[in-house]
Amino acid sequence: MTRLSGGLIDRSRTLSFTFNGRSYPGHPGDTLVSALLANDVRLVGRSFKYHRPRGVFSAGSEEPNALVTLGSGARAEPNTRATVAELFDGLEARSQNHAGPLGFDLLAVNDLLSPFLAAGFYYKTFMWPKAFWEKLYEPAIRRAAGLGSLSMQPDPDAYDKGFLHCDLLVIGAGPSGLSAALTAARAGAKVILADEDFRLGGRLLAESHTVDDAPATDWIAGVEAELASLPNLRLMRRTTVWGAFDHGIYGAVERVADHLPDPGAGVRQTLWRITARRVVLAAGATERHIPFANNDRPGILLAGAMRAYANRWAACPAQRVAIFTNNDDGHRTALDLLGKGVQVAAVVDTRPDATALGPYRTYPAAQVTNTWGRRGLTAIRVAHEGGSDWVTCDALGVSGGWNPNVHLASHQRGRPVWDAAAQAFLPGACPPGMIVAGAAAGQGSTHAALHSGAKAAQTALADLGIVANLPDLPRAEDTPLNLRPLWHVPGKRRAWVDFQNDVTVNDIALAHRENMRPVEHLKRWTTLGMATDQGKTANVTAIAVMADLTGQSIAATGTTIYRPPYTPVSLAVLGGGDTGAQFRPRRLTPTHPWAQAQGAVFVEVGPWMRAQYFPRPGETHWRQSVDREVLATRAGVGLCDVTTLGKVDVQGADAGVFLDRLYCNPMASLKVGMVRYGLMLREDGHVFDDGTCARLGAEHYVVTTTTAQAGPVFRQMEFARQCLWPDLDVHLISTTDAWAQISVAGPQARALLGRVVDGFDLSNAAFPFMACANLTVCGGLRARLFRISFSGELAYELAVPARYGAALMARLVDLGADLGATPYGTEALGVLRIEKGHAAGNELNGQTTAQMLGLGRMVSAKKDAIGTVMSRREGLVSDTRILVGLLPVDAAGPVVAGSHLFAEGAVQQTDTDQGWVTSACYSPHVGSSIGLGFLADGAARMGEVIVAANPLQRQNVRLRVVSPHFIDPDGGRLRD
Amino acid sequence: MLIPHPLLGPRDAVEFTYLGDASLLARPDGLAEGADAAFHDYVYLRDNPAGVHRELWYHEQGDRSWLVVTRNTVTHEILGAELARDVALAMRGAK
Amino acid sequence: MTDLIPITALGTPGGTQPQRARFGALHLAEDDSMGLASFSLRRGQGAPQAVALPGPGGFLGGFAQGQGIGALWMAPDQWLILGTGQALGDFAAQVAVLLPGGCVTDQTDAWAGIEITSDAGPGPIEALMSKLVNIDLAGFGPGRATRTGLEHMSVFVLRRSESQIAVLGMRSAAASLWHALTTAAARLDHARGTA
Repeated sequence: MTRLSGGLIDRSRTLSFTFNGRSYPGHPGDTLVSALLANDVRLVGRSFKYHRPRGVFSAGSEEPNALVTLGSGARAEPNTRATVAELFDGLEARSQNHAGPLGFDLLAVNDLLSPFLAAGFYYKTFMWPKAFWEKLYEPAIRRAAGLGSLSMQPDPDAYDKGFLHCDLLVIGAGPSGLSAALTAARAGAKVILADEDFRLGGRLLAESHTVDDAPATDWIAGVEAELASLPNLRLMRRTTVWGAFDHGIYGAVERVADHLPDPGAGVRQTLWRITARRVVLAAGATERHIPFANNDRPGILLAGAMRAYANRWAACPAQRVAIFTNNDDGHRTALDLLGKGVQVAAVVDTRPDATALGPYRTYPAAQVTNTWGRRGLTAIRVAHEGGSDWVTCDALGVSGGWNPNVHLASHQRGRPVWDAAAQAFLPGACPPGMIVAGAAAGQGSTHAALHSGAKAAQTALADLGIVANLPDLPRAEDTPLNLRPLWHVPGKRRAWVDFQNDVTVNDIALAHRENMRPVEHLKRWTTLGMATDQGKTANVTAIAVMADLTGQSIAATGTTIYRPPYTPVSLAVLGGGDTGAQFRPRRLTPTHPWAQAQGAVFVEVGPWMRAQYFPRPGETHWRQSVDREVLATRAGVGLCDVTTLGKVDVQGADAGVFLDRLYCNPMASLKVGMVRYGLMLREDGHVFDDGTCARLGAEHYVVTTTTAQAGPVFRQMEFARQCLWPDLDVHLISTTDAWAQISVAGPQARALLGRVVDGFDLSNAAFPFMACANLTVCGGLRARLFRISFSGELAYELAVPARYGAALMARLVDLGADLGATPYGTEALGVLRIEKGHAAGNELNGQTTAQMLGLGRMVSAKKDAIGTVMSRREGLVSDTRILVGLLPVDAAGPVVAGSHLFAEGAVQQTDTDQGWVTSACYSPHVGSSIGLGFLADGAARMGEVIVAANPLQRQNVRLRVVSPHFIDPDGGRLRD
Repeated sequence: MLIPHPLLGPRDAVEFTYLGDASLLARPDGLAEGADAAFHDYVYLRDNPAGVHRELWYHEQGDRSWLVVTRNTVTHEILGAELARDVALAMRGAK
Repeated sequence: MTDLIPITALGTPGGTQPQRARFGALHLAEDDSMGLASFSLRRGQGAPQAVALPGPGGFLGGFAQGQGIGALWMAPDQWLILGTGQALGDFAAQVAVLLPGGCVTDQTDAWAGIEITSDAGPGPIEALMSKLVNIDLAGFGPGRATRTGLEHMSVFVLRRSESQIAVLGMRSAAASLWHALTTAAARLDHARGTA
């Protein structure tokens, strides 16, 4: 057990967890990695390409190596960073990317093949023979590649989303973030402080420094208590701000229950959309390493991480450690470890003037040139001025300086800028409203971080007109790094730069030789900086190595920029919980509960659920129900809920003029109390939508739209009202949901309606075809009646306030029993309208014209309606395709919608195509399948036999061209 | 993105639907001489600049106002927003 | 009076009683008693003399004293007029008398109203809104109302008081709205229980 003294863990409680099936103890406050290290587990995974044994490399979200699968069954989540997995009782983790046990991976043969697996290997090797790629190479590569595997089961957890607004968003709760939040919150600003960790303090938690001569945790606890007392500050732990978007919108994920064995009835993670007026980015810095030969053995990690494990988690990867550094920070790790009783074998310092800061051996002007230890480090080779020695140690901390975490600052294309004094890329042009503070801005000492955070908050709030006073900040260390850059130790052996993608210095050299020198090319040729860590510990080092090779400065070599997300975000939480019932809203018609009680089968029509048909006992096939409903309607009376059609109330002195400009046919001339069919075009001359327009008063119309286009038509009407003709007096409001509208169709429709209206004269003379009126029904209920027909029968649509819809439907069915009243669904509705030859969505598909629908003469040339001018275009006018009816020559033959039409005997190809079948159904009235379709020269081809081709099913069906009106072509039934 | 609604203040862009070039406000007179050519240009010719652009946005999940938003398509900076109706009325007045 | 029996927006057959639910401090109640009508000013018509209609983003309860009538701003020159307990009458006709000269359209059954109250102050109400609507609560105190998206639905949210809001959603989507509201409220209650 390498558990040290101290640390921020709760030793009074022991948690049990498993790694690769073996059980280990840990404590609250541990991460999975700190607990593994405390249990002497150093080997945690295998590398991506060479399957080299790998250990923990960092102590934070930048981790490239320690990727594990957490959880089991449907909850198994691959590729999670064990360094940030908060320990809980019962946590299960498994290592990834090995065949056989972790200690003996069969795929490690790749390591022996490494001379062949250099940068660009796949691009170069699997080029030929070309046919081999799809069948052989790619499947084999895919099997071997990747890290963990998905469970392939549905995610059992719940996710949700939320929306927050603030004056100041502070990202990161280290010293700079805490002082920024404190400054702003004391000034009364609305502040959000978010940090990915489960504990506030950031880097302070990893250090042994004092703040105001007391442990840093005392100061943190004081700040935390004050922040908790301020209602204008929202503290968000376990929350990663992962993306900066336009105009101050930030994406954040809160891990609500990832530290719990089971979220229970709660959510696992929440996606927050934060709208921030100003932002302080206090994301800290990530330590960088120095590549040297065989620098990837388990036990070799960042020196700052080693210090963090010792100070915060009382854990150390070994009892005997060494440090390799180019700055003073490496010596701090040596001092802290010594203070915890760990042996420090040596500090290898690249600087010639290096001296020990404590009782340990220091090699000045020295470098680590090789390492030993098959599954974990056992010794390092140190080259120094006097020669070279093997130094025995089981862990090595590497310190090459610190890279500011500039990621979010560059999400809006702001390119980081090289700063020679800091030897680091600092944030360049930030997203508007963002100020960077603390180590993320190169202000890495605790003193500098505290002050830059407070100053950043003050500046940000001043922009908003909020005066913030700088707080009295505590005394804290302010020691320089004294860094002397060294970017890699030269040598022929492999020295890893990017651990996650197995990119070595040699790979960069190869990319250089192959002229893949710009950073963007380098990245793609070598796969540097890809995958889950996005090169957080690798990119800057790789750029510096390339700069060495080209002889250019790092500034001239440049850097790639970062995109969201900062750390991996699951697709489940990005979905925000929009699954199942919340995938999208469902709209129910007013008669829905009644139809449910009748046993209706429902169908989705856009967002609507509509009754498709109403099966009756003994009916075993949907066609039986539909045929019955159709025949009953044509013989007696059918009832159908048609509420889903869009309804728009149009009022105003200029309502008629306005509608004249929206519809291609005249509307202003419509008499009060009458309805007219209306056709709307798009400005390009094609048909947009159709419906009816009823004039209820001199300045009051109600128009209907198709179900599908209700939204777009209303949008177009508002566009016309506000943007095209703003001087007209017109007022619009949707009333789709306000009224339940029931179609009453069939020869007995009048008789049935006569039983519900309150003394209203329904006679043909008083209320003819296309009449409309306000009236009352069922003893005083206000209603609207329209004599319109989609079915071709004598028909009405009766509208009542939506809450009465179900009761009215039940009443009509009840009162009409002796008249054969039959409810019908959307299937029968479709059959009825196809039999009548009425166009619907299939015919109004956005590619058709009024002329094609046989309605060309409706387009009035006397007025300037939307689409009128363009409908006269030669290309549209010369189109001879027109809506026809289609009957199979063999009465048993099918008519399939979507089939294309050809002359009999013609070769079937694009240039001989003569049209297509738009709608088809079985017509119980005709006794066979029937169809509607657009056919070239259709008007002149009545009686001709053509072929409907459906090559998908190798169908060629002979059809006869007939009138599209299969019933009542003269319209007598409508008018009787 | 946030759209600075002239009446309601900043509103999230997800409440809006986008139409495009605000030149659509200048609909030609369909009864005038040369309407065919004018409508061809109106319907099919649009500017698509990399830079400052005037665009139509519709506050569909809001107050149903059509807005003319002046936006830099490169930086996404929004330089202003007006009620399209006001813009259209001003255009009429200017004629 | 008609003998047809109305059902509520969330009603099942015979569902004549409004739905109610409670999650910790939050009470959700369907309100089917409000009469609703839109009112638009004609071009050139001045604002009504009798009452002061609210401006953009505004909501005014009980402006016609003693009549329980309120208004919220819907669009330029257009308001939604609300009448407590007026659902079954011809509320539009009433509004036309109260606010003469404009255009009035009945909206009573176009919307399903859900009243949400907290018996623990504004905290639970604001937590619930944060999970559902992208509204800056800093500018959304009592007397404010706005139309926005909620789980892909278009809704009006009215801040009646610090600890009460009303959500008006499309009547046809009432069940989805209720599901969204109750799911969020239940999760908040669960989170409070485990915190």
